[in-house]
Amino acid sequence: MPIFQSNDFKGAALGVAALIAALIPHVASATLGQPEITVQTDVELAHATIKSSEDRTAYRVHEIQMPSGTVLREFVAPNGNVFAVAWQGPTRPDLRQVLGQYFGSFGSTPRSKFSDRRHVQIQQGDLVLQSGGHMRALSGRAYLQSAIPSGVNLGDLH
Amino acid sequence: MASMRVLKLGLCAALCLSAFACGGGGGSTAGGPPPPPPPTNNTASVIVDEGPSNASVNTLFTSVTVCAPGSTTNCQTIDHIQVDTGSYGLRLLAQVLTLTLPVETLANGDSLAECTEFVDGFSWGPVATADIQIAGETAHSLPVQVIGDSRFTNIPANCSGTGLTEEDTVMAFGANGIVGVGPFELDCGDCDTVMHGLYYDCAATSCTDTTVPDNLQVPNPVTHFAADNNGVIVVLPSVAAGGASNVMGSLIFGIDTQSDNASGTQTVLTVDDNSELLMMFNGSSFANSFIDSGSNGIFFADSSITTCTAPPNDPTSQIVNFYCPASTLTLPITIQGMNGIMTNNLTFDVGNAITMLESNFDAFPQLAGTIPPGNAGTFDYGLPFFYGKRVAVAVQGATTKAGTGPYIAF
Repeated sequence: MPIFQSNDFKGAALGVAALIAALIPHVASATLGQPEITVQTDVELAHATIKSSEDRTAYRVHEIQMPSGTVLREFVAPNGNVFAVAWQGPTRPDLRQVLGQYFGSFGSTPRSKFSDRRHVQIQQGDLVLQSGGHMRALSGRAYLQSAIPSGVNLGDLH
Repeated sequence: MASMRVLKLGLCAALCLSAFACGGGGGSTAGGPPPPPPPTNNTASVIVDEGPSNASVNTLFTSVTVCAPGSTTNCQTIDHIQVDTGSYGLRLLAQVLTLTLPVETLANGDSLAECTEFVDGFSWGPVATADIQIAGETAHSLPVQVIGDSRFTNIPANCSGTGLTEEDTVMAFGANGIVGVGPFELDCGDCDTVMHGLYYDCAATSCTDTTVPDNLQVPNPVTHFAADNNGVIVVLPSVAAGGASNVMGSLIFGIDTQSDNASGTQTVLTVDDNSELLMMFNGSSFANSFIDSGSNGIFFADSSITTCTAPPNDPTSQIVNFYCPASTLTLPITIQGMNGIMTNNLTFDVGNAITMLESNFDAFPQLAGTIPPGNAGTFDYGLPFFYGKRVAVAVQGATTKAGTGPYIAF
């Protein structure tokens, strides 16, 4: 299933990816809620590659190909900060890296009566984390509610 | 403590002996053709109940007998192993395992461990080998994961980093184990060549991501049975609209291998490499859909159906992700296999999940919930699909009278 159409692609975006690659290579902090340059940190730590970068209305999305086959997408607001991440593939990315300070805020949720192994929807403070799928095909996303640029359709963040 | 252990071992031995007696093969006699061996008992009992965490709904369980490799006496029968057609492999909670199973070693002599990623969390533990038996079916030296093993307490950062909740205890996992009997053999498509953060090479003090040969990986145990190894059939009765406290059924091994698992005139839907197929609902097509005994409800996006409100005494309840229509809805759905075969006149019901929660039942045919917009291509048809049906799950490459796996037929 193509996630975005090539006719949405803007030539400048590839340049952005290259620019990011040229910037400070090692940034300790991780991506969600952080400046766009931390996208490159995720790429390097995961030994991944930026497959494409695309400007859409109200935000930019970097598509990162992990060696595992999983695709990670990181969404950047006009203010230069990453406001959402989404993943799809056989295994999850390192969420500790990708979510940074937000990792662990959902740490040990007790098993509730209706929980199962296939769905998670967590809302904790500003963070919304949603995950679904099954073994060998997992997907999910996390975003900061307060950071979503106006005009963004939540359904497009995947 | 000691006497307790002896009692348990004695009980296990008795159960194992009786179980093995059921599955006995025939002997040959000199002179004349040998009599045909009695058929293997290929049917295990399954139950839907609240499970060992007292918190499960629409969760299917069976019992598995586990023995130390090569032993018919050093055995233990473990109940409440979840039956999951959406995963692959047998995983046991160390907390309930009284046996010490040998951990697999890699070519370099290090131990093999696994980080299993479920959507809601991860489970960590070594890969060990065991002889296992379900009904009369046996698999020898089967790789199984032992979750929460006290010998492997240093969880690698990139395992815990896959996030969410650690599920290494019975209460957190919601079962004493899980048996993944989906339509493939292995729990990872390419872990022999690609590192996924699933399998780990554990030296004395730490574990690192590794590739691992297929034969050391944790497989769907059915594919390793001596017989009846081409799939399973789940048979569950219909359940009253309002639910039931317990539902009993059967897990039959093999398809077209014995008289009790013969194919009939069912609808055969082949699935893709991810065990997914197409579902059409409400005018939309969902290309990443799946039928799955390990999902406890029917999960799909429909903004026109009212979702539930958390009860005042439990404001963070997950119930808010389920549907609560004022009256039961009956909705049409079409499921299409990769082979183009489609269901005809299929409907499902959506009931009020708060009413179900208050009933204290454990089986709900009308339990349905939302799916996040980020999973917009998915319709997840969980255990309610199986109620009142006989559902066959054929493994990849299985040749049956109804077709070649991987497929789901009903």
